[in-house]
Formats: sequence, C-alpha cells, structure tokens
Amino acid sequence: MKSFDAIVVGAGPAGSSAALTMARAGLEVALLERGDFPGEKNMFGGVLHRLTALEEVFPDFWNQAPLERHIVKKSLTFMTGEASFNVNFDTEASDRPPYNGYTIYRPCFDRWLAEEAVKAGATLLTRSTVDDVVVEKGKVVGVTLLRDGSELRAPVVIAADGVLSFTARKAGLRRPRFNPSHQAVGVKAMVDMPKDVIDDRFGLVRDQGASNEIVGCTEGVRGGGFLYTNRDSLSVGLVLHLSSLSQSGKTPYDLLNAFMKQPQMAKMLRGGRLLEYSAHLVPEGGYDMMPEIVGDGILVAGDAAAMCIVTGLNLEGINLATQSGVLAGKAAVEAHGKKDFSRAGLAVYRRMLEESHVLKDLKLYRRTPGMLHNDRIYSQYPEMVCGLMDEIYRIDGAPKDTMTKVLLRAAREKVGLKNLLADVYSGWRAL
Amino acid sequence: MNINPDEIFDTTSFNIDREPHIVLDTEICKKCDQRACVNSCPARCYTWSEEDAKMTFVHDGCLECGTCYVVCAKDAFTRWRYPRGGFGVSYRMT
Repeated sequence: MKSFDAIVVGAGPAGSSAALTMARAGLEVALLERGDFPGEKNMFGGVLHRLTALEEVFPDFWNQAPLERHIVKKSLTFMTGEASFNVNFDTEASDRPPYNGYTIYRPCFDRWLAEEAVKAGATLLTRSTVDDVVVEKGKVVGVTLLRDGSELRAPVVIAADGVLSFTARKAGLRRPRFNPSHQAVGVKAMVDMPKDVIDDRFGLVRDQGASNEIVGCTEGVRGGGFLYTNRDSLSVGLVLHLSSLSQSGKTPYDLLNAFMKQPQMAKMLRGGRLLEYSAHLVPEGGYDMMPEIVGDGILVAGDAAAMCIVTGLNLEGINLATQSGVLAGKAAVEAHGKKDFSRAGLAVYRRMLEESHVLKDLKLYRRTPGMLHNDRIYSQYPEMVCGLMDEIYRIDGAPKDTMTKVLLRAAREKVGLKNLLADVYSGWRAL
Repeated sequence: MNINPDEIFDTTSFNIDREPHIVLDTEICKKCDQRACVNSCPARCYTWSEEDAKMTFVHDGCLECGTCYVVCAKDAFTRWRYPRGGFGVSYRMT
C-alpha cells in the first residue's frame, strides 16, 4: 500500500490541471491513468477554447502546448439534403496571441499536460484503472486498482475520471443511473488531407484554422455536425442526443456517412482518406445534471462533474475542466494546510467555483439544454432558412413577392408562426 | 469515404483483453422491448437476432464511450466497467 498527499483519478485536462497545481504547491500527488499513456482514451470534437486557468503556469501556452491550428474563422451552417446556408465570422483579432481557441489531438495534448504535472513532481501511474474507492469512517481515504487489487491511500481523492465517473458513483456522489436526455454521443472521422489543400479549401494561411458547426445534418435526430481543420487532417463528426438517437432507430455511423456524403460536405472532404474513427459521450445536461462535487475526502472535476456548456454555437468542456481541476487542486492544498479533509473542509472548492466563470456560466446557460430539446431546430428551421434563400435568389420567370411575404410564407409553411414565436421566446430566455 | 463498424480495426487501434469489460444478462435483453443499444452503439457491438430471440455482445471493437450504459432501459449489465489498465481502444490522433 502506497500513500500520497492526494490521488487524482484520470489524467485528462481536469486531472492533470489538478495534479499540476498540487505538485507545484509541494504536495506528493499520484496521477492515475487507465490508458497506456494520458490521452489514449480521450476524444472530443476538436476545438480547445482558450485555457485562461492555465495562463498563470504557461504564460505563452501557444508556444509550449502541442497545438494543431488556432481558430480564426468560425461558421454556422444551416443544412438540408442539398443546400446549405452559412454564417461566417472571420477576424484578425483571433490571429494574434492570446489566441481564442485551437484544434488539437487529444493523445498529444493530454500527454503533454500530464507530463507537465510530472515535471512539477507528480507521480504518473499509467495502465491504472480504478476499481473502487476505499472508505473509512465515512471518508474516502484512497482507491483500489483493477490491475492487481492494490491500494493507494491519500487524505483527498480528486475524481477526474470523465463523463461516466465511476469514482464519483462509488463514493455515492452521483446517481446510479444517467438520464439519456442529459447525454449525447459524439462520433468522429479523422480525415487525412495535405496542409496546402486545407489552406486553399478553407481560405487559411500559416497555422490559421477554421471551425464549422452545422445544424440540419442529422436526419431529424437532435444534434449537430462539426468540421474542424487540423494541420494536415480534418475532424468531421456528429453529436447526437442519446434520448433522440435511441428513439430514432438510426445508427450514429449511418448518420455520419450520410452527413459526409451531403453534396457541400463531400466537396470539403473530397480526396480525403479515413484515418481514425472514434466516439465519446458529452454530458450535455449541464448544471441540472451535476453530481455532488464535494464529499468527505473527495472532490469531483471536469466531465465527471458534468461541467459542459452547449449553446448550439459553442461547446465548452475542456476550458471548464482545466479551471475546475486547478480549483480542486487549490482546495486540496488548503485542506492540507488546515488538516481538514472533511466535506466542510473541502467545501472551499465549491465556493471558488461559484466565484469563477465555471459555475456562473453553467448557471447562466442552465436553460439551454431544455431549449435545445426542440425537434424543430434540427429539421424545420434549416429547411426554412435554405428554402427562404432559394426563393430569394431563384430566377424562374414568375413575378416576385415582397420580402416580408416570402419570409412569412416560409415560416408558416415550414415551422408555423405560433411555433416560431414560442421558439424565439425560449431561445431568448435560454441564451 | 465510409464508416463501416465491421471494419473498425482498419482505422482504430485496439489492445483486446481476453476478459470482457462489459457483461450482459441476455435473459433481461429478451424481455426488453426497446433494445436501444443495438442502433445507438457507435461501434455496432450489439446484435439482436429476431430468429433466435437472442442478444449478442462483442467487446472487441468497443470504443468505451458508455452509450449502452446510458441508453439501456433494463439495466441488463452484470458488469460495466472500463477495461483493465492498458487494454481496450487506443486512439492515436483523435
């Protein structure tokens, strides 16, 4: 049995940020990772937002972290089977440091961050799947490993073991069952493409990158698509709400294949070769699905705590994970100072999160998951927008109607005016 | 370009454990009228045979995403855990 000052379960962005923070403060930290190396099991869409939480440690983060491209161009697409309507935002302001976001490869990025924690003094234990938490007198005092049943002990455990967090479950902090309407599955194809082809196709130079979110490409299943540029590959995929997907009878890979064959998408992907296929869950339920994040001898951070914000335009996760990891680390350091690892002693973690953007933003957007559970967004609205544009641009010899008439007709036919008003109201309330 | 889960080993790396990390009680699946796992699993690990009235689960190409764990309406798992350390899916660049 080995003893540490703190055990971190999971060497993803939350876990490594926590380990780094504690190791820098002089604590003896065990950082556990079930993969062969950190990042081996990790997958996401592909855009990492600016990590303000790590800027104190890495003031020139963009020169140190293994990044693909920085995002200068963001676009939203309304898509139907044969048309797409794009809204682009392209700014020079995103072309200078501190950059606003990047594309990354998780097996590279997560490994780098964990190695930074190791450099600061943390002990990284790979191939270590946690089997259970060790509880004594109602307090978590360690974990056991699946490999050989061996036990690791520490007065504080940080559960950063991802979206399903069995560590939080075994410590009694999350409910035994997940609600399928709180979770989405992301599926992704990594597509090989030469850098100069990507630069030309997306209108980019140097390390500039583009991110594109797409709605209307899921055959009516609640969810959306994405297309991101890496240095010499593209990430293309779908995020599908589990309650809607399971009821639809459709499969994620058939939907992804159809998405990649949509004519405008096919042109962007032309000549590409499939490199890797991957899948992962997204805790899209946000604030209302959060587990207890503080227990006796235990804290929960990142996806394990369901710290995820989905607005339809942005999907935030890793930035919240690193911020919560840093704060969990700070709370553990404070607890060591006071020698109090009880729920009350660790509650400072919750207070720090309340004061940071993490819980403020999660609360601000707590209505958006509900707003996004509206099937009209995923088929009728994209059809309405594309139908409207088609009518505006089309020259067919017939006399024109006023723009207002065209607009009202499109809204009435595709969505219904009452629905439109209700959706505008709920969208306004949620965002 | 086409994703075919039956050819998942061509594009995604695995270090397959002999011991499955997910074990189903297929008697429970027989009584299930939803079987959301079959269509929802992104790696097509679940197959329902109407003829034999039998659910088959193969863990080899499992992406460890947890979709089945969340959508299963009957809690049919006698075991659902991550593979032992070092086993399972191994992403290179995702």
